[in-house]
This record gives sequence, structure tokens and C-alpha cells, in this order.
Amino acid sequence: MFDYITYTTVEGPRQAHQVEVYALSTCGFCKRALEFLKNQGISHRYVHVDLLPLEVKNQIKEALRSQFNQAVSFPFLVIDGKKALVGFVEAEWRKALLDQ
Amino acid sequence: MKGKNKEEVRRFTEMVAQKQGWVLSQDTALYEDLVTGLMVNWNRYGYFLCPCRDSEGSREKDQPIICPCIYARPDIQEYGHCFCSLYWSEDFARSGKSPQGIPDRHVEG
Repeated sequence: MFDYITYTTVEGPRQAHQVEVYALSTCGFCKRALEFLKNQGISHRYVHVDLLPLEVKNQIKEALRSQFNQAVSFPFLVIDGKKALVGFVEAEWRKALLDQ
Repeated sequence: MKGKNKEEVRRFTEMVAQKQGWVLSQDTALYEDLVTGLMVNWNRYGYFLCPCRDSEGSREKDQPIICPCIYARPDIQEYGHCFCSLYWSEDFARSGKSPQGIPDRHVEG
């Protein structure tokens, strides 16, 4: 969504959706969320927001808040640039990403 | 400023849990990740910023989310664990349930 930051891309056989995760490098549930995507073979890209300069991350948080009309906490999952899920609840991520 | 190591951070979490009447996460992998996150945050910011929340740029602004955060008590009461799932209630620990993401009172107001 933001061409001025560098995402880490993880390729997998499941490519039905464009999946982006905004995460914190220090957060346990963020780590679990990224492990879930990898273990399920879901192609995605992610960025550790806490490692970005303050102005950049504030800009991103504001953009996410305004686009999805949702308070921003982490992990923040964006599906196809249209739908957001906040926080890692595996059943919800599974439903949104794996159920056809 | 001298940095903290994981053992010092573990002791800090043990002290908080004991003082508040909580128990530490029984999910050992998650607990170790959170100890590492707290250590990184101490060594990065100079205070125990909640590892599951982002700094707003100053200690003053981050005050409510310095561990143990001001939301831990109501979260533990309502969900059985704090936002990070570092601290659990005794009931939650006994239940055998797995922790999961909960709403963040800090950003949701």
C-alpha cells in the first residue's frame, strides 16, 4: 500500500489474496501471525513498523486508520487492500484467508 | 546507560506478577518472545515499553503503555490475560485455554 517503505516478501503456494501485515518486531502475537502465514503457505509481505523512522510510521498508522476507519494496533492485516483485521485471532485469519 | 539482559527482564516480570497477584504466561515460547521484546524495548527506549505496542516517540506519551500497562488489570479481569498475554489470571492459567489477540484499550479509547 505504501511505496515508500520496504516490505519483506514471503512467497508461498497460496496466492489467492494480496496479503500485507503491519507488525512489531517485539510482539509475540505478531510473530505468531507471521508464522501462521508462512506455515499455511500464504504469500504475503510484511513490515516491522517499530523499526521505521517516527515520521514514516506515524504517516503509515494515520493512513491505515483513515483508510480502514479502524484503530491501529498490531498485527494489522490488510487483505487485497480492502479489508483489515486487527490483532491475531487464528480462527479469524483462517476464515478470512483460507475459507473459499 | 547499561542495557538489560533476559535474566534481568525475567526477574522484572516475576516481580510484577507476584506483586499484582497474576501469573506469568504459561505459554513458554510466547513468554520468551515477550521477555526478548521487553529487553529490546528497554535497550532501545530506556523503559519497558509494552512489546506489543508501538512507541509514540517519548516516555511521556508512552507512559500508559509501560509494562505493566494501565490496561493490564481490566484486560486480565475481562479476558484472563493482558494485551500481550505476558500476565495471566490464575483462573485463565488453570483453564488450559490458549491466549489470543484481544482489543487494545489504548488505541480504542
